[in-house]
Amino acid sequence: MEAIFQSFVTIGWWELCVTICNLLITFLIVKKFLFGPINKMLEARENEVRELYATAEADRTAAETMKRDYTASIANAKDEAAQITANATKRATARSEEILADANRQASDMVRKAEESIELEKKKTLNEIKDEIAGLSVMIASKVVEKEINEADHKRMIEDFISKVG
Amino acid sequence: MNGPQVYFEIPVLGGLPITESMRNQWFVMLLILCLCVFLTRNLQKIPTGKQALAEKAVVMLTNLVDSTMGEGCRHYAPFVAAIMMSSLFGSLISVIGLRPTTADLNTTLGWALIVFFLIHYSNIKFHGLKAYLKGYLDPIFIMAPLNVLSEIATPISMSFRHFGNMAGGLVITTLLLSGLAAFSNAILGFLPVPLLQIGIPGVLSLYFDLFTAAMQAFIFSMLTMAYVGNARS
Repeated sequence: MEAIFQSFVTIGWWELCVTICNLLITFLIVKKFLFGPINKMLEARENEVRELYATAEADRTAAETMKRDYTASIANAKDEAAQITANATKRATARSEEILADANRQASDMVRKAEESIELEKKKTLNEIKDEIAGLSVMIASKVVEKEINEADHKRMIEDFISKVG
Repeated sequence: MNGPQVYFEIPVLGGLPITESMRNQWFVMLLILCLCVFLTRNLQKIPTGKQALAEKAVVMLTNLVDSTMGEGCRHYAPFVAAIMMSSLFGSLISVIGLRPTTADLNTTLGWALIVFFLIHYSNIKFHGLKAYLKGYLDPIFIMAPLNVLSEIATPISMSFRHFGNMAGGLVITTLLLSGLAAFSNAILGFLPVPLLQIGIPGVLSLYFDLFTAAMQAFIFSMLTMAYVGNARS
């Protein structure tokens, strides 16, 4: 059978309909199999990027807040440390002054007590010496006069004598 | 010079022919389907190779539609892509020896009729029927027949431009091929093959098949965008 050809330039409603249907089907193919998946992917990526940026921004804000907090607390800590040092210094100064005052007082007390006891001792010693001398005098006198007299009277007389002398 | 071959006729309504152009259109559609499926297979968040290419193409075309048609016309992008790919591949199949679908007036006129419908649909949708009809009486009512004529001229000029370019290329290439065969027979008749047919048609084919195919596909889709975008503004 011989091949049939259409003429070079023809217009037929059937051919036009087929072409129009073909183009519409091609449109659906391109839409469904090319633009659909690609646009979906692009959108997904855009969303992801936007999410990433939002997260990064949130992180940055959080970091900035933390940094501000830290800076503030470090400054506070410095102030506190200075405060504590000043307090400690003040307390230490007060305490040392107190200790010094105490020591001075105690020292002066001790000196006074020592002086008192020295005085007391001196008096005691003097009295003992007096007694000794009185005893000796009585003994000497009794030896001298060979006469027993009332020791108490003698003693009194000698003490009188001594006080007049000394 | 023959038109497209008729393979057989469906015996209804006085015989509906299945032509070479139709077969080639279906082949092109299959090609586009395979290309789309191949390009969008196994899509990843981080694009590589063919996916980057496909995304680039889609984004470029969407931007082109945005800049040519104005905002809010993104849903036309797949249609423009379909026209562009159908036209480009329809013309380029001549490279593998098939008759280009665009060298058949029925094909380009069919596309132009869809564009024609879209132009008037957009116009009525965006301006209302009254303003649309009033547009024909612009600037005075006497101009109405000319306005109607210019509207009808749009699809005709679009389809004939595309068809003419491709059919012209086809005719010239065919003429050149037979001319070279005759010339080859005349001066190198002792050889068993027409030697001059090798190489020389290929150089012309660079222009008539590759360049014109790409050019006409671009022009047809640009005109589609321009006309439909203009109807909306």
